[in-house]
Amino acid sequence: MRLIMKFGGSSVDSASELRQVSELVKSHSQKNQIIVVVSALRGVTDSLLASCEKAEGGDKASAKKYVQDLSDKHINLVRSATTDKKSLNSVEKKIRTLIKDLEKLLLGVSYLGETTARSRDQILSYGERLSVQVLHSVLKDQKIKSVCLTGAEAGILTDSNFGEATPLMNVTKHQVTEILVPYLDKGVVPIVTGFIAGNQDHVVTTLGRGGSDYTATILASSVDADEVWFWTDVDGLMTADPRLIGEAKTILDISFREAMEMTIFGAKAMHPRALEPAMHAKIPVRIRNTFNPSNKGTLVQLSQSVKPVDIVKAVVLVKDVAVINLVGTGMVGKPGTIARIFDVLAKGGINVLMISQTVSEANVSLAIKRQDLDNAINSLETALLGSGSILEISGENDVSVIAVVGAGMKGTRGVAARVFQCVSEAKVNVRIIAQGSSELNISFVVKEKEAKRAVRAIHGEFLAH
Amino acid sequence: MRIILAGLGVVGKSLVRLLHERSDELFKEYSIRPRIVAISDLSGSAIDTRGLDLKRVLDVKEKSGSISGYNKEVASLDTNELIEKTEAEVFVDATPTNVRDGEPGMTYLKHAMKFHKNVISVNKGPLALALPALTELAELNHIKLRFSGTVGGGTPMLEFGKRCLEGDHIVSIRGILNGTTNFMLTQMEEQGLSFDNALNLAKKKGYAEAEPSLDVDGIDAAAKLVIMANLVMGKKVTMKNVEVQGIRRVTPHDFVKAAKKGSTIRLIASVSDKLVVKPTEISIHDPLAVSGVLNAVTFTSKFAGDLTVVGAGAGGYETASAILRDMLDINESLVVAARN
Repeated sequence: MRLIMKFGGSSVDSASELRQVSELVKSHSQKNQIIVVVSALRGVTDSLLASCEKAEGGDKASAKKYVQDLSDKHINLVRSATTDKKSLNSVEKKIRTLIKDLEKLLLGVSYLGETTARSRDQILSYGERLSVQVLHSVLKDQKIKSVCLTGAEAGILTDSNFGEATPLMNVTKHQVTEILVPYLDKGVVPIVTGFIAGNQDHVVTTLGRGGSDYTATILASSVDADEVWFWTDVDGLMTADPRLIGEAKTILDISFREAMEMTIFGAKAMHPRALEPAMHAKIPVRIRNTFNPSNKGTLVQLSQSVKPVDIVKAVVLVKDVAVINLVGTGMVGKPGTIARIFDVLAKGGINVLMISQTVSEANVSLAIKRQDLDNAINSLETALLGSGSILEISGENDVSVIAVVGAGMKGTRGVAARVFQCVSEAKVNVRIIAQGSSELNISFVVKEKEAKRAVRAIHGEFLAH
Repeated sequence: MRIILAGLGVVGKSLVRLLHERSDELFKEYSIRPRIVAISDLSGSAIDTRGLDLKRVLDVKEKSGSISGYNKEVASLDTNELIEKTEAEVFVDATPTNVRDGEPGMTYLKHAMKFHKNVISVNKGPLALALPALTELAELNHIKLRFSGTVGGGTPMLEFGKRCLEGDHIVSIRGILNGTTNFMLTQMEEQGLSFDNALNLAKKKGYAEAEPSLDVDGIDAAAKLVIMANLVMGKKVTMKNVEVQGIRRVTPHDFVKAAKKGSTIRLIASVSDKLVVKPTEISIHDPLAVSGVLNAVTFTSKFAGDLTVVGAGAGGYETASAILRDMLDINESLVVAARN
């Protein structure tokens, strides 16, 4: 089999974890061709972003301290995980060189007092550039033949939309096949940086947060892999958040579209488009636990391969949500009102999670992220109040969204009735409801303090068996 | 319109001659003044930002075998440098076909697109190896990639399939895409020549190269098939996806056997589900049963049925005329852009 294994930051964070990873690579590489994709160490991308912001303020001292800490963190990790002296020396040298480059970049930012999306991508790329070196030396220690490549070196070409670049899949497929397949044929394991790639001018780009998963599926579809495995620190996608619902179970089998619904709703921090390349190339994705490798995890595949067992696959609680209500009889029969509302929100960079409007048109409700609420209300008031069509704009920040996900709901009568019946029996009041015509997902808004009760009730009704 | 030309072989020279001879006519009929501002060949290059003197280009090339003697005072640049430093709207790749890695054409095409030049290629190599990728790069850089001359020489086979059948659905394509092998097969059929004798005759007539593998092993036909499948049928395929068998094992006796069944043998390239190039028995009444160096392609479309295009498949002037068609097409879009 040809496999892509992606290890998240939580899987490469300590010596014991790294050894576990190298064991996994070793045991699977005997019978398979493997490409490894690795994220930055846990927390490093966030810290790079923070140091970037500090440097923008002209803070040279903390930039210097930061790169020193980052250097220590990686070098200590390599020392604790590698035994071979010679390879230790060479990897330490590589890490120091990278750190020096990073320091220059951060100091450059502090002198300029500004960053652009382009320079930020350049700085953020160091998280993965450093982590591949660490993993490379550990694999070398285990006598696994491997080679380090950045996403761009592996052949991933993107447009120049820095911070959220889109891969050019045809060029990427052509290049990745030419570059990586010869390694695979020689039994060498390519270790590729997740998250980062490059544009046609060889400038570093990034694929957006959670982009390492995306890197893995891009590579998978490029080399016609048989499966993609996301190694993480949980057993897979769960029927509900286990911290909320004790009896929540791992989902064994789920379709791409169901999994996408769940990831969009935050069930796992994954790039929203990460599953796309795998879905188009019909390559199954497995989400597995690095520390519980005997568990097969969750298999994400094409819907026709998924056995229709459960009507509902999962209940997802989306926290930190707020609702905006817009009221005004002036909206009735007036085309363009909704367009203006969304235009204002889009200009403010505010993403809308959920929309509901009744036929009377006198009331529109929107769910957004809670952190955006004050800005959203302010922008809407400035732009729309006094225009005559909207009389009142109000916000609620004590709400949550509950999403009930499952392809089996499509065409099954009475699912919504069962959902709301059990929610009402749990004495939870439903504020706003939305269901798309795909019938893959019923979402509704409830008061935050009642949300757990509602999730428990639905899980008990559909998934506790 | 300013043009950079890479490659001054048979096709490149024909293009220069064509633009030189027809410049008044092109201006009168199409309001276009194509100016070749730079040319490179194996040994060097020539530049004139106001347009090279095409007569002199041909003379210099004729006398010294190279273009590098054109302007002696200016240092010769390589093709990539020409692309970077010369202002031009169109880059024409007329370098020799290489289906192993597509070089040097592959690098030139990518480079030209990166520097936002429209690209015309008559070099099949890069296209056959990476057409889906090159198309994507053209879209990324908002330029046009045209390659009419790669299939059928001057016969507009690609345009016929792509434009004349727009709105219909093309189910399959079958064709004779290599004139040299068709000439050889015709000789074997009509004169009873062996493969070797037919090949020698083709060499003598100038149809076959000294190294004939590209033709007789079906590689040239396969490359053209890939280009058609991509452009006309929207398939994302490359050389790797083609099953290829050449004509080395065909004997005059095979033709005798086939004739008894009212059939003949031609090197047929076809694409429906699979891409295949191999010697195939076809009825002598099949419109593809053409003789000599001709090319022929049958498009089977869902609604318009079978349509066959027949014409000369190669030749310097023929291919140069296809480049000119591509230039006019690109010029149209430049005019639209300039007027908006």
